[in-house]
Amino acid sequence: MAHVTTMERENRRFGWLLTAPGLVLLAAVVLFPIVWAGITSFFNYSLIFPGYDDFAGLGNYAKAADDGEFLHSAWITLLFVVAVVGIQFVAGFVVALMLNDARRGKTVYYLILLCPLLINPVVVGLMWRMILHPTLGIVNWLLGTVGIEPVNWLGAPDMAFWTVVLVDIWHQVSFMVVLLLAGLSALPAEPYEAARVDGATPFQRFWHITLPMMKPVIVVTLLIRMIFAIKTYDIIYIMTRGGPGVATDLISYFIYRRAFVSLDLGEACAMAAMLLIVIAGLTAVLWRSMRQVQD
Amino acid sequence: MASIQLNSVSRIYGQGASAVHAVKGIDLQIEDGEFMIFLGPSGCGKSTTLRMIAGLEPVSQGDLLIDGQRVNDVDPAERDLAIVFQNYALYPHMSVRQNMAFGLKLRGTPGPEIESRIAGVAETLGIRPLLDRKPSQLSGGQRQRVALGRALVREPRAFLLDEPLSNLDAKLRSVMRTELIKLHRKLGTTMIHVTHDQVEAMTMGTRICIMRGGEIVQVGKPQDVYRDPADTFVAGFLATPPMNLIPARIEAAGEGLAVIAPGLSVPVPEAYRAAYAPYTGREVILGIRPEDLFETPEGAAPAAIDCSIETVEALGPETILNVKLGQGGSELAARLPAEGDWEVARQIRLFADSLRMHLFDPETTRKIAR
Ligand SMILES: Nc1ncnc2c1ncn2[C@@H]1O[C@H](COP(=O)(O)OP(=O)(O)O)[C@@H](O)[C@H]1O
Ligand SMILES: [Mg+2]
Repeated sequence: MAHVTTMERENRRFGWLLTAPGLVLLAAVVLFPIVWAGITSFFNYSLIFPGYDDFAGLGNYAKAADDGEFLHSAWITLLFVVAVVGIQFVAGFVVALMLNDARRGKTVYYLILLCPLLINPVVVGLMWRMILHPTLGIVNWLLGTVGIEPVNWLGAPDMAFWTVVLVDIWHQVSFMVVLLLAGLSALPAEPYEAARVDGATPFQRFWHITLPMMKPVIVVTLLIRMIFAIKTYDIIYIMTRGGPGVATDLISYFIYRRAFVSLDLGEACAMAAMLLIVIAGLTAVLWRSMRQVQD
Repeated sequence: MASIQLNSVSRIYGQGASAVHAVKGIDLQIEDGEFMIFLGPSGCGKSTTLRMIAGLEPVSQGDLLIDGQRVNDVDPAERDLAIVFQNYALYPHMSVRQNMAFGLKLRGTPGPEIESRIAGVAETLGIRPLLDRKPSQLSGGQRQRVALGRALVREPRAFLLDEPLSNLDAKLRSVMRTELIKLHRKLGTTMIHVTHDQVEAMTMGTRICIMRGGEIVQVGKPQDVYRDPADTFVAGFLATPPMNLIPARIEAAGEGLAVIAPGLSVPVPEAYRAAYAPYTGREVILGIRPEDLFETPEGAAPAAIDCSIETVEALGPETILNVKLGQGGSELAARLPAEGDWEVARQIRLFADSLRMHLFDPETTRKIAR
């Protein structure tokens, strides 16, 4: 852009003027906390003795990398993300494929599926805690009517992890359905007809036509869900508080506890910064994939 | 190699009051090795018929037979036909080579055989340098060739072509027209070619099937259909400019009969008199092809036509004159040799060969047999 006319310059100035209030607000509530947390991560900053007297350099980062509990949380989070995104993807794709082929009642199914997505995660957590209550919950009562022993959904370590996974799937699977269905309905019909004449079975058409043509949409959908799954916090806070023990101690909840229960803000900020880098990396990949979808 | 037979085949979309009869009980026998053209205006059911043959569209009523076997309920995969779609329908994520190999791979053709077939077809169609490109990297003409190549490598029992040339520019279209004719001669495989272009229909096919409103109007060799159109629709559809159709009457004239219209009187030749006699005193539609009008008397029974020139289209090898008959009569097109000194608004006298006139019944629009 070598030559900028006076009019363009004025237009640009006017544009900046219009966006300024929003930018200032964003800087205050988003940029400032990030920068502040970044700075804090280099200090031994405790909420018991707040202050920036004790510079720690990369000490907090080193400590976090060596912290067994933190690494355990990271591991649990990884398992959680893989389980949740994997199952949601497979289930969501199957539902999207069925809806895409549905002749009648598509909108009705679609609306029903959308309902969980519209519920606040805190409400979802509270609701499922009631439904899954060991003695008062409806699920155990129903199991009892067919002679199955009551299940301790949230009280046993292994069970609690999978219960949280299932609740998150229930809550978010429609997100996958919505995006994948949008992708499916945008696919051209002609290659399918060509493939039918070429002799492809329904499965071969799915494998050789649908999957490759859906690839960009699939990548974007997976990335978005992964970014959100890594940040999962509300459901844990409401349903398990990371327990029993540390069985469901996802990283967001762990960092929260480190900051506001252990009051060790410096270390918590270092951990948050590490998480931010992972999410920012995924977001960068997401951006690039989205550009590919547009091409 | 396949013969294809349609026995009162219908296709009905939807149900009840909103049902659309796209194809209305058509009967057609396509012989093995034939180059059949489906010709008709847009929306007349050509594609629907072709898609029923391919198996992409269910047959609502009637029987569809391939090589004498009823295939109404046979999956398209098992019919062993290849179709070239109007918009080519290439697999966008596959290279040209993969596009061509796909159908063969699905059928379990061994790898070396696939390779050699692709090489052969790519050579024939001149798409060898394109084999590793994606469809998005090809021009319209190249895509069209690839779509054709994908059909050819399959070596199917019959080729179904749905307006494959309609998206090409005029020059490329005439090149591909010639190549398709050569290809058919070389392979000898049954081909069905759908088009709304009468030039394609006249030049390419061994037979033409002219359709209108979901029905077959006429089937025959291009020259036969041209020479002997079954009704005013066919007469007005084939060739540009089409046959001149003039509202007229048959009247007794001395010993014989004459076809009378404002500014025009054509004596009925001896040979047709018996056939046209029942129409004496009645309205008819007179059909004269533009090339059956001459500057000098031609044929056994020429009839003079006095008219004035409206427009002159000098095409090079020939000239199309649009002339207006006297006494507020109709406009006619005349195809005349290139040399001539014509000027708009000038009065001229043309001659019709009355042996080559056609008469149609205005009520049924069908040709009056003679
Ligand atoms: N899926 C469909 N649903 C309803 N009507 C259709 C459908 N496909 C085609 N038709 C109708 O069938 C008729 C024939 O269509 P088509 O075979 O595509 O015509 P052509 O190929 O001769 O232009 C048209 O009137 C069209 O509107
Ligand atoms: Mg069509």
